[in-house]
Amino acid sequence: MNAVIQKIGVYLPETVLTNDALAREFEDWNSEKVEKRAGIRERHVAGENETALDLAEKACRDVLRDEDPESVDFVILCTQSPEYYLPTGACILQDRLGLSVRTGALDISLGCSGFVYGLALAKSFMASDTADRVLLVTSDVMTRHLHPRDRANRTIFGDGAAATLVGRSDREGILNFSLGTDGSGFRNLIVPNGGMRHRYDPDAPDIADGFGGTRTDNHLYMNGPEIFNFTIDAVPKTVADVLEKNEMTLEDVDYVIFHQANKYMVEYLRKKIGIPHEKFYLNMLYTGNTVSATIPIGLNDVMKQGIVKPGDTVLVSGFGVGYSWGATIIKI
Amino acid sequence: MKKTEFYDLLMDTLEIESVDAVDESTDLTDLEEYDSLAVLSLIAMIDEHFSKRIPGTDFQKITTVQSLMDMIGAGSFES
Repeated sequence: MNAVIQKIGVYLPETVLTNDALAREFEDWNSEKVEKRAGIRERHVAGENETALDLAEKACRDVLRDEDPESVDFVILCTQSPEYYLPTGACILQDRLGLSVRTGALDISLGCSGFVYGLALAKSFMASDTADRVLLVTSDVMTRHLHPRDRANRTIFGDGAAATLVGRSDREGILNFSLGTDGSGFRNLIVPNGGMRHRYDPDAPDIADGFGGTRTDNHLYMNGPEIFNFTIDAVPKTVADVLEKNEMTLEDVDYVIFHQANKYMVEYLRKKIGIPHEKFYLNMLYTGNTVSATIPIGLNDVMKQGIVKPGDTVLVSGFGVGYSWGATIIKI
Repeated sequence: MKKTEFYDLLMDTLEIESVDAVDESTDLTDLEEYDSLAVLSLIAMIDEHFSKRIPGTDFQKITTVQSLMDMIGAGSFES
């Protein structure tokens, strides 16, 4: 029994926030410099009443356009901007999409590693004869967690969703995984308030980030230097581990897609690991960092453009909030 | 690494154009190029050239080039 990625659907919200618009909002904010170093010119931002579930639904409709909805027997929704504490977003999605009531549904709460973990779950469901066709949805509206004056994070993050159909197949499609967790870093990428530990505080004081930006504990906090330190350590190891688990070397891999965090970070990881430029995906120019959606958006992009072809092997790796990370190898 | 080499490396890493040169007394936080992405470039540079990892919170304490060199470790530099 094997699981393969059959199809990917993508949805990006209509509103586009350009670097020029950000430059008008923030003094000393240099559009060209941001594009050159962060690799981002535009990012999509969800509308005021648009949620991650709305984006998820649209990405699903895109991927299911010519498909029989009855063929889906499991929905996994990965998001960190849930509709409610309860119920589970994937249950609402089952109804909105008109999927069979025999469909299993669950949410997973992960960020940038979520797509890889979702693939691991989908593959396991097939191996255990639990499901034949899994709809893996990765959707986030990270911009909703950002303070309006948090210019560093407003630069980097964008909203978006991807829906990936994973199905049973006779051929190998999703190979072995390398997964990892280090919860000791949980405070370095966090929305401190709003959960059960610290409730939303309408009077939360402003906190300066030291680079002209502001947030409160109701908003996303990212300790950029610590996150970069973590990725420099974790990503080369998980890449080495996933290659070993699949008895492959980098030369056996046709293409590599990392979570598109920001250009500077991802490009440094490429150089450090020694991945050739021409085998490496680097494209967040029009989307920014869309959290768990960056890898399937990238995969869809290179499959559509013919950069990867049927039979090619693609190494994917996601890493971030948690800390949580993972990698696998996909045969297209 | 020679200190003068390190100053040149800093000019390159941070793509400094607002001043012609830096030395140990230059306050990095005064430079217009010093922003949150500049800190990421410093981390990459220190990893690449010194194989060292500086804790994220320590970057908030950086002021002058000297303070950065102290953080990397005096043993890494020769005059």
